[in-house]
Amino acid sequence: MPVKPNSPEAVLKRYRYLAKKVGWALFTILFVIVLNFFLFRILPGDPARAGIRDPRLTRQAVEAIRVRFGLDKPVINCFESLNPVKFGACTVNPLDTQFFIYAANLLRGEMGISYHSNRPVSSLLVERLWNTLLLIGAGQILAILLGIALGVVAAWKARTPVDYAALIFSLFAWSLPTFWLGIVLLFWGSAVGLPVGGKATPGLSFLPASEQALDIARHMILPTLTYTIVFLGEYMLVMRSSLLDVLSEDYILTAKAKGLSTFQILKDHALKNAMLPMVTIIAINLGFTVAGALQIETVFSWPGLGGAIYEAVGRRDFPVLQGAFLMIAVSVIFANLFADLLYSYLDPRVQTD
Amino acid sequence: MRTRFTLSLLIAAALILAACAPTPPTTPSPEAPPSTEAPAITEAPSVATEAPQPSAEPSVLRIGWAGSPDTLNPGTGLLSESYTIYGLVYDTMYQYELDGTYSLRLAKSVDVSDDGLVWTFTLRDGLKFHDGTPLTAEDVVFSYQLYQVTEDFPYMPGYTTYFESIEAKSPSEVVITLSEAIPNMEASLIYLFVLPKHIWEKVENLAEFENLEMIGSGPFKLADYQQNEFVRLEAVKDHFYQPKVDQIVFQTFENQDALVQAIRTGQVDMITEMPNTVVETLRQAENVAVVTGVPLAPDIADIIINQADPATCPVDEGGVCSGNPALRELKFRQALAHATNKQKIIEVVLLGLGDPGLTLVANSLTQFYNDQLQDYTYDPALANQMLDEAGFPDSDGDGVRELPDGTPINLRLNYPSDSTTAPRTAELLKEMWAEIGVNLEIQPLDPDTLSSVCCPAFDYDILIWGWGSDPDPGFMLSVHLTDEIPTGLSETGYSNPEFDELYVQQSTERDPQKRREIIFKMQEILLRDVVYIVPFYAKAVQAYRTDTFTGWITDAPKLSLEDVSSLVRVEPIK
Repeated sequence: MPVKPNSPEAVLKRYRYLAKKVGWALFTILFVIVLNFFLFRILPGDPARAGIRDPRLTRQAVEAIRVRFGLDKPVINCFESLNPVKFGACTVNPLDTQFFIYAANLLRGEMGISYHSNRPVSSLLVERLWNTLLLIGAGQILAILLGIALGVVAAWKARTPVDYAALIFSLFAWSLPTFWLGIVLLFWGSAVGLPVGGKATPGLSFLPASEQALDIARHMILPTLTYTIVFLGEYMLVMRSSLLDVLSEDYILTAKAKGLSTFQILKDHALKNAMLPMVTIIAINLGFTVAGALQIETVFSWPGLGGAIYEAVGRRDFPVLQGAFLMIAVSVIFANLFADLLYSYLDPRVQTD
Repeated sequence: MRTRFTLSLLIAAALILAACAPTPPTTPSPEAPPSTEAPAITEAPSVATEAPQPSAEPSVLRIGWAGSPDTLNPGTGLLSESYTIYGLVYDTMYQYELDGTYSLRLAKSVDVSDDGLVWTFTLRDGLKFHDGTPLTAEDVVFSYQLYQVTEDFPYMPGYTTYFESIEAKSPSEVVITLSEAIPNMEASLIYLFVLPKHIWEKVENLAEFENLEMIGSGPFKLADYQQNEFVRLEAVKDHFYQPKVDQIVFQTFENQDALVQAIRTGQVDMITEMPNTVVETLRQAENVAVVTGVPLAPDIADIIINQADPATCPVDEGGVCSGNPALRELKFRQALAHATNKQKIIEVVLLGLGDPGLTLVANSLTQFYNDQLQDYTYDPALANQMLDEAGFPDSDGDGVRELPDGTPINLRLNYPSDSTTAPRTAELLKEMWAEIGVNLEIQPLDPDTLSSVCCPAFDYDILIWGWGSDPDPGFMLSVHLTDEIPTGLSETGYSNPEFDELYVQQSTERDPQKRREIIFKMQEILLRDVVYIVPFYAKAVQAYRTDTFTGWITDAPKLSLEDVSSLVRVEPIK
């Protein structure tokens, strides 16, 4: 017997579903926190040396750096270091090991100090995060809107020259190497007078806010365009095939038989159902958005999170890597959680599974 | 993105004694702004620098570079980009000039006692920090003492090793007493940036201090800074260097194609570096001048040959000493040198933008570089003959020579995986050395792993790596010392008592001419013994717009358009 939407059982079920999803998300985050720490310790390379690849540093100087960042402490009880594996005393005070210092710092909301720039990781990453969100946010919104529009048009005009043209364009755009497209656009853009790098023209802080915003917008044109083109194809292809599936359903035929216009069929009957797969890929892509589009940020010298991660890997800057990975993991987990919850709203069948 | 092996042009010079006479130049070099003309700005109040001129549009010089300072704190900075900014915002006692000499910067005169131990500097008049506070001898003493005792500063304590006492005799007189009469006193003072005492004495955690205000006394003051984006500096017009432009902006381009495109389209006025591949096309660009030259602070590429003797292996320090025994034979190493076509390596790897290398004492050390040495000619036939005579035959005719005991000579060749030039150099070496029956097994390694096989482990045969050099040759020479084998500073395990003795001599010789002669002799020995094979000294490649600013120093023995000496002379084209 079907459960009524607002009956106590249904509400309970919905809460239980919600609690289960949130619980899993929290558990995953906890797992990531632990993994994050050990993952980087297993990498070869001594941060005190890799960050400062200058053989002329004296031993005392290297030792001072190790002490300053707590790298002289054992990684965790019984282990001096993980790569190379060196066993140590198991009786050390756990609070005096790198792992617990890391965990205690996290509990206080601190991510440590960057080995490279001596700055607190949290402020460094937040600064980069906003830049990335600005760029990728604009690119994603454009890609989603244009992708959906193009997908709908292609599905509607299926197997006509319009469809083929849209399909070929999308496949082509999707398969373009990001950095290559970026460089081509960079050359083209600089020829028409667009800035080739950075987020803003340095030294305009005395200008009114509106002109500064305009300046940032000018700097965003090329990277956003690159991002949009690369991601648009994926959205278009998913939207098109999903809509084609829906359009072949019987109830669409019924709607046609009722004499509804094509626009009404699309708007009221087809689109909502066809959006389900889109929600999944949008949510997942949004999660990874935080990781930034590393290649685009590099090509256009955009000071985002992707670039920060790339630099930190080379320098074995563990605090920055841990912080950035945590940020990405949390955003992907939350994006997925959001998609799950949105699903249960869009498609009530989901929570009864 | 760029990964560099040597991150800074720093020092350790003070770690090692080297000798140049305590006779600092009394007249400024042509590159230095004439200090005699520097007005003692007593009548000019600082308002001119505080308020931007409202009348004219300020002249803004835009510089594009691929890096960015790691920190504005001179104590903890490691990257060369940081040192460029420090040199503009702070003053030092001496300035290292583009011709390899030292000129007085903060001081107007110096007096050295006969025994070379007591150095009395008299500061210029009217010095002041960017916040208006006067700069006195107290600030100098405070800064030097701070650098001396702060162990969290990786490099700074090394410069002050021989400072026994630092005192302010009067507000304008600084007296430094040394524990030993070192010959390279000027070189140890060029990176000791003078900090304002009233700000730094309040800093509690020196290592984590970000120094975002960056109050200095130099010809430019910090106006705006975004890490990894840009540094904006404003000129201090009454500074004794008399900068001509109003502002300088250093903008970071993570992508070198964008950097090149930025100068072509005039978005920047100068770029400090570019890939060698674009040099030819950029030369064709309108209103752009490409300049190449000997770099101010070179990255030396070297081929390291393991000569560590298992009999004297530093086992306690983790020594393995697994080098191929052939490498310890002088004739064998000389044959390798004859089989190395440096010109071809320069053409292929650097597209011609380099000079053939001799020893670790590079041509950028100007007066210390012995350019009279005769390098090994590229002559595979001669090399083959030498190997035949030295007892390394190819008895089975498979193209690979054997050791006297019959083992084929297969040498391991490692290089850092983040190097851009080493992979091609390695391929070329494999080809060239195959011609003389020496087989190379190429294996790139993570730089850190490379350190662990290198030294003092000596668990390799051949490495391609590199050094950044100081202005003073003392440090580069010290890496060849017997005493440095267990410390890990010696990469080759080379040991030569005659060389060791000459090293001691040059580190106490205060007559510059005599010291030079000793250092020339040492280079001769290093080349003769083929301790390293130095394939090339890469050239600096920079470019500037010819239609916006003028006055770039391009004819000095060394090239560094972003050096303070150049930037205080540049002015806008009217």
